[in-house]
Amino acid sequence: MSDIQQPAQTLPPNAPSGPPLPRSTKKEGKPASLWSDAWHDLRRRPIFIVSAILIAVLVVMALWPSLFTAIDPNDPRTCELATARQGPSGGHIFGRDNLGCDVYARSIYGAANSLLIGISTTLATSLIGGMFGLAAGYFGGVTDTLASRLTEIFFAIPSILGALLIAATFRGGPLSSITLVIIALTVLGWPMTYRIMRAAVITAKSQDFVVAAKALGAGHMRIMMRHLLPNALAPVIVIATINLGGFIAAEAALSFLGVGVTSPDISWGLMISDARNRFLDAPLPLIFPAVFLSITVLAFIMLGDAVRDALDPKLR
Amino acid sequence: MRVTKGAQIVAGTALLALAVAACGGGATEGGNTAAGGSDTPVRMELGEPQELLVPTNTTESEGAEALAAVFEPLVNYDENKKAVEAAAESITSDDQKVWTIKLKAGNTWHNGEPVIAQNYVDAWNYAANQDNAQSAGYFFGRVDGFADLNPGEGKTVTAKGMKGLEAIDDTTLKVTLAAPFSQFKTLLGYTAFYPLPKAAFGPDGKVTQEFGEKPIGQGLFKLDKPYKKGTDQTIDLSVYDGYKGPKPKGWTKLQFKLYTSAETSFNDLQAENLDIHDSLPPSAIATAKTALGERYQDQPDAGIGYIGVPLQYNPEFKNADVRKAISMAIDRKTIAETVFSGTRAPADDFINPAIDGYRQGACAACAYNPAEAKKLYETAKGPAKLELGYNADGGHKEWIEAVANNLRANLGVEVTPKPFEKFQAILDELDAKKYTGLFRMGWAIDYPSAENYLTPIFGTGAIKTGSNYGGYSSKEFDDLLAKGDQAATPEEGLKFYQQADDILNKELPYIPVYFYRNNSGYSTKVKNVKINLLNQVEWSQVEKA
Amino acid sequence: MGRYIIRRLIQAIPVLLGATLLIFAIVFALPGDPVAALAGEKRTDPTIVAILRERYHLNDPLLLQYWYYISGVIFRGDFGVTFADVPVSQLMAGKFQVTLNLALTALVFEAIIGVGLGLWAALRRGRAADTMILASTLLLISVPTLVTGFVLQLVLGVKVKQWTGVDIFPIAGISNGFRSYLLPGFVLAGISIAYLTRLTRTSLVETLRADYIRTATAKGLSRRRVIGRHGLRNALIPLVTYLGADLGNLMGGAVITETIFNLPGIGNQLFQSVYLREQPVVVGIVTVLVLIYIVANLVVDMMYAVLDPRIRYE
Repeated sequence: MSDIQQPAQTLPPNAPSGPPLPRSTKKEGKPASLWSDAWHDLRRRPIFIVSAILIAVLVVMALWPSLFTAIDPNDPRTCELATARQGPSGGHIFGRDNLGCDVYARSIYGAANSLLIGISTTLATSLIGGMFGLAAGYFGGVTDTLASRLTEIFFAIPSILGALLIAATFRGGPLSSITLVIIALTVLGWPMTYRIMRAAVITAKSQDFVVAAKALGAGHMRIMMRHLLPNALAPVIVIATINLGGFIAAEAALSFLGVGVTSPDISWGLMISDARNRFLDAPLPLIFPAVFLSITVLAFIMLGDAVRDALDPKLR
Repeated sequence: MRVTKGAQIVAGTALLALAVAACGGGATEGGNTAAGGSDTPVRMELGEPQELLVPTNTTESEGAEALAAVFEPLVNYDENKKAVEAAAESITSDDQKVWTIKLKAGNTWHNGEPVIAQNYVDAWNYAANQDNAQSAGYFFGRVDGFADLNPGEGKTVTAKGMKGLEAIDDTTLKVTLAAPFSQFKTLLGYTAFYPLPKAAFGPDGKVTQEFGEKPIGQGLFKLDKPYKKGTDQTIDLSVYDGYKGPKPKGWTKLQFKLYTSAETSFNDLQAENLDIHDSLPPSAIATAKTALGERYQDQPDAGIGYIGVPLQYNPEFKNADVRKAISMAIDRKTIAETVFSGTRAPADDFINPAIDGYRQGACAACAYNPAEAKKLYETAKGPAKLELGYNADGGHKEWIEAVANNLRANLGVEVTPKPFEKFQAILDELDAKKYTGLFRMGWAIDYPSAENYLTPIFGTGAIKTGSNYGGYSSKEFDDLLAKGDQAATPEEGLKFYQQADDILNKELPYIPVYFYRNNSGYSTKVKNVKINLLNQVEWSQVEKA
Repeated sequence: MGRYIIRRLIQAIPVLLGATLLIFAIVFALPGDPVAALAGEKRTDPTIVAILRERYHLNDPLLLQYWYYISGVIFRGDFGVTFADVPVSQLMAGKFQVTLNLALTALVFEAIIGVGLGLWAALRRGRAADTMILASTLLLISVPTLVTGFVLQLVLGVKVKQWTGVDIFPIAGISNGFRSYLLPGFVLAGISIAYLTRLTRTSLVETLRADYIRTATAKGLSRRRVIGRHGLRNALIPLVTYLGADLGNLMGGAVITETIFNLPGIGNQLFQSVYLREQPVVVGIVTVLVLIYIVANLVVDMMYAVLDPRIRYE
């Protein structure tokens, strides 16, 4: 399965994610909400702690890359064509790429775009899929039928090929390459969130407190926002964290295919794509960004796994 | 590597070869059979032809290579890069305007019919007629009466053929040009000028699909079975017994194996699953040199890569010193060695070394001189920001980025490489004045004459109809070209062309960056592989080892 | 059952039409003129462009073009021709074969490795082997295909050949027959292997908790027999359906693997056709993939009914 398929796939519903861990013991007397309970639970999971540290480092890397490297890869004078594809040496611990630029510095600077794309796409899919899912689940009937048929259409199109098409179509237009990647991934990614949200809302809808609110004459908006949304949010957050890593991998896949981030912007997928032709002679310029990419995706998937276990005990 | 004649030059980098070369793929058959016996075919690497195998509609390298095995051209090119008669007995003209082509007698088509002059007339008229939308139609633009077959969009063609074309008898063809052209003979070796047999045309007068799948030629090889484009992974041919020219010794079967990527085919060559590979990618060169040794060949190829300057669109480049400064800031040698691993050579003239008329070092401003470049750029007040447009579908990104880094570092300017989907998109944006930056440009020749590097790219007349995308215009230059065209002999013409070339080298309307090289290799099962000026293998000379 | 199938097929029609129209519209919006794209770097002759545009109906409005296309597909099984006048169906046949070979190879890897590891983990639940397997599935899910592809190409393809002198895993093309698909098949299977391992483990663990297993054990049957006869059989249901549905996913998601290993499959073809603006090829491939998706889902639902007698479709 390709990378981009990942977001469209949750883990099998009841796949355990690790060795059974001792349940957190709650302090007596305090009524624990789902959220505080989950947080309590999360804090004690090693998998969460590891991923949180990794993500923190990545965020710092994205915001202040110069903390990690003295070389600014946006400055062409740091590249020297004659030294292209040279292996690691003193000042260049990961060696040089095909244009003689420092691989380490470029890998560090690539973090920002990956995170930007991963987070933006996750927010956008959650917002769009969430809204549609909420409305479809709540209103049911024609709204539901129409929205559900629409998502089926999107599900039927292989995600990576669909995203490839969209990204290729609107390239060179007024949108920046990064925005375009976010849009392409969102268009193919939102139906997943839609389904999750819709299912959660349908479950919540029939519960007593919603029926009671309706009986008291609360408006549609109020019921959806005050009663349904908070109760359906947990599974959406779970799917969002799991998808985040998938979107980062998908960006790399699109950039690799030449329809993602374009130079002079830096991205790991783009670096992999650029190093590809000489990969068998000079593997390092490809391997290093690939390692960065894998660690980032791993960090987010681990986080998603941990969040799911904490927020959704049913799924354990 | 696929090269569109007269135009598109596509570097054979793996991913982009995929993007551009149409599909195909490694052949499953013909795997490990030894090429020892006379019945086993000689296996040749080929990218999938873009169109069906119809000479009048083939203007790219892969289809042309396949057709070259099936057809015999009127002229071949000898080792001195001169056109010599092949299917023609003689090609003569007194005034460079009316040309008489005598055909060799007794040649036959693969279906046994004799080859007659009328076959040429039919084929050329078919190619030139706009209703047939044949990509090679423009080759006949110099023939008198071409305009009658091309009245323009929405207009009906009334003429039956070009009035400058006449079959005097079965072996004599008379061609009248609209204006004298001393290089006419050199044109005739190209795919577009092959004849077509009667059998090629259907009842509606169009070349049939059947012919496109199994073309009937008059050349060395005939197709064993129809080639189903998109499905077949090989094109299988065997020697045509009725062919009168030289035949290969000791073998009779040729197989083109279709590949999507030059890496795959190079692997097959190393594994001896392939005998001849004539477009090794840069990534394979280092390995090829050591692994193949003597069986690796490197020779000039007639293509040139430039940085185009939008003279007619952007006054910032008007001063020739700005262009010279940019040119001197480009480290061509390192680019050729590192980015291209020697599959390109640094350019130092507007005429390619593969062609008669090239002079080493003719372009003085093509020598790398960063200090001088910076000084010149500052005194000439070159723009502080430069854009470098390139088409992202052709594997140009890396060298464009390298040039951008050169310019940034050596001129201290801001340079933005700007990818376009297609080369055509650059032209469209230039025309619409939406883009006014520098752009990459490549040129593969239409015919092997120095003139072909000048008129179609820099002539004033080519701004509207040709490939003069920058809009360079110089009366002195145009006059010299006209003198060359009217010269009594090709040699005399060349002198004028070289004078015209001098003007370009002084003014740098474009900045030549590299000359293409042809990098080929062959297996231990064959020897004496010679690749001609058109990058086609001289099949009759190939021997089994 | 028959009526159920018919209803499902009728429901699939709007999905098929919607998906193809969507793709058609996107391709229609592709920048650049498809005819100009054929011309390479020569300035295109407007006359020839006009004639070709006319010939391929490129001047008609989107919906009309779509109608020409979809009516051809539905009524004549005709997917149109490429700009080189090659029938798209002929072009696609060869490419689908390659991708199908690849996807089937991947599926075999998935079934053997995924189910094998999952069983092992389930039987060693809570022990080191289980923990190890679960940790490695997390790793497998996290490393993008892009990365596993290149790394395995280098390590198994190139290095092994250098060390042993034998070309065990060809790294490009399909000229080595079955062997050509081994490495790319494994790479393509990677993430699915991880999912399947987890699914197998969970499924078997759940099944082994069921009452009838306890009964079987209580009857004094051997552990081997309990697991083999009763546990596995029931645990298998979700696995079979997962594998069935995954075939479509694998085929649609093979583009990265095909690109890395230079396999001339549909992903590759689609990628090129997007660049060449070959609308009929792009739409044709997506149409067939959508069909595969629809049929695969239908078959999976049928399999549920066959494997699990409790499920009845009306």
